[in-house]
Amino acid sequence: MNKYTVARGIKAGAQYFIAVFLAVVTFFPLIVTFICSLKTNDEILLGMFSLPEVWKWSNYPRAIEVASALKSIFNSLVVAVATLAVTIVVAMPAAYVLARKSYKYLNGIYLLFMTGVMVPVHCTVVSISKIASGWGTKNSYIFLVLVYTAFNLSQAIFLFTNYIRGIDRGLDEAAKIDGCGDVRLLGTILVPVCKPIIATEAILVFIYGYSELIFSLILITDSSKYTVSRAMLNFTANYTTEYGPEFAFVILSMVPMLIIYLILHEQVEAGMLAGAVKG
Amino acid sequence: MLSKSATQRKAFWKSVLFVLPGVAITVIFAIYPVINTFWLSLNDWNGVGGSAVTWVGLANYVKTLTSSKFWNSMLNALYFMIGGFVVLMPIAFGMALLVTSKMKGTKFFKASYLMPVMLGTTAVGLMWKFMLNSDFGVLAQFLNAIGMGDSVINWLATPTVNIWCIVLVNEWMYAGYNMLIFAAGIVAIPDEIHDAALLDGCTGMSKIIHIVFPLCKNMFMVFSVLCVTGCLKAFDIVWSMTGGGPMDTSATPAILLYTQGFQYKLMGRSAAIGMILLVLGLVLSLLLNNVIFKQEDM
Repeated sequence: MNKYTVARGIKAGAQYFIAVFLAVVTFFPLIVTFICSLKTNDEILLGMFSLPEVWKWSNYPRAIEVASALKSIFNSLVVAVATLAVTIVVAMPAAYVLARKSYKYLNGIYLLFMTGVMVPVHCTVVSISKIASGWGTKNSYIFLVLVYTAFNLSQAIFLFTNYIRGIDRGLDEAAKIDGCGDVRLLGTILVPVCKPIIATEAILVFIYGYSELIFSLILITDSSKYTVSRAMLNFTANYTTEYGPEFAFVILSMVPMLIIYLILHEQVEAGMLAGAVKG
Repeated sequence: MLSKSATQRKAFWKSVLFVLPGVAITVIFAIYPVINTFWLSLNDWNGVGGSAVTWVGLANYVKTLTSSKFWNSMLNALYFMIGGFVVLMPIAFGMALLVTSKMKGTKFFKASYLMPVMLGTTAVGLMWKFMLNSDFGVLAQFLNAIGMGDSVINWLATPTVNIWCIVLVNEWMYAGYNMLIFAAGIVAIPDEIHDAALLDGCTGMSKIIHIVFPLCKNMFMVFSVLCVTGCLKAFDIVWSMTGGGPMDTSATPAILLYTQGFQYKLMGRSAAIGMILLVLGLVLSLLLNNVIFKQEDM
């Protein structure tokens, strides 16, 4: 063993130590929260960091019963899936036209969508609440989904347009010679080719839709329609003496996202990166 | 000839039909609300459908810009930004170096570090709110166990301390996300450059400083833009941990916008904060872009 290999060994060890330490810091709160979700109130009040004497699984049914945990998770899933469906169905044709047609007015449309990317959500909340009151659409999921769509649409169109521009036009020409119209060309030829970018965008929109907070605070007042974020906040504010079920709700709310992440973590990585560096 | 122009016209209107839904949604739910917010910011309105909207000119801006609460919220936004550059950036960059290194298990570490971003901001906020509870939280318990019980305070109720707790939880959540940005930059460095560096005896820290930093410049720019514009938008994490309280000490501008509008029913004031945020965001991104372009000219 010479000095060089020893130094390298120390370096590799240090690297591992840091990597493991960061992973522990990442998982620690989750594990503690999970353990607390199985404890009685008294055990939690003695301190969060200890194992329960008896694993109190009944905290979960309690959270489901008192806070309608499952109902609110289902609500959020419905809203998230609807948002991603509407976003993709609306963005895809627009992106196709922007990428493939050369009408002059499209420059203006492109600019409009790019302005849409720049609009900060918070700058619109007062007005959107006013619109919802005016139209009588508070507590309407359709309205909520359209609002969510508006704040995801520009990014979707931007990503899709760039992707379609990268596809060989020969594909379009061949389809046109075979008598394919715009609709069939888009639906049967381009959409399958665009699957990777559609999946990327779908994941981004889903994460947004599932955990969005400010619009669900403003637009949803009927507690049976609460989204998961809203229902959780409500539960922790109103039932401060039932800690176990509160922890159980927090854990339950994470389950859908963790399942998706376990299955699709590579697509999630790709999606987050595409979303971050779009500008 | 006639039929050709007819098909052309048909194709034109078809293209309009294709973009129309997107344009309608963007205009109704993003562009129009901004214009409407600007108009509301020049008026007083209590948010109730039929009640009067009265013109007050710039009064809402004057009141906002002279209120100490607003400047405190700006200070809190500044803490978010400082935390981003001082805490988040080094950790995220370090994570990126780790997951792009040759050590084993990088895939696992990468997936682990990114995981918090998936959990939902509200769930993360509540989880940490419990962890930081001064009676039974993990931190208090730990400090008591090592005999430092005196330093246990109600962190989330103490001004300045509370906002820094929130900032750090925010870094916990987004470290992995920003790691992805830096890792993409590091991976994009061509192998030849690594080989050349090795030949020149440039390894370890000096390689990171002289090779990786400059070549990841774009990624630092992406990070800076996200960090600076993001600090003005912080809402969910603050709302779930403290609700901006106590006495608005941990409020960010977005929290203030919400409480002014939807708790105190001062819609005009809320709209004015929204417009200030919009302008500030635009100015900051333009400024950052200019700095970037100037550097590239050199």
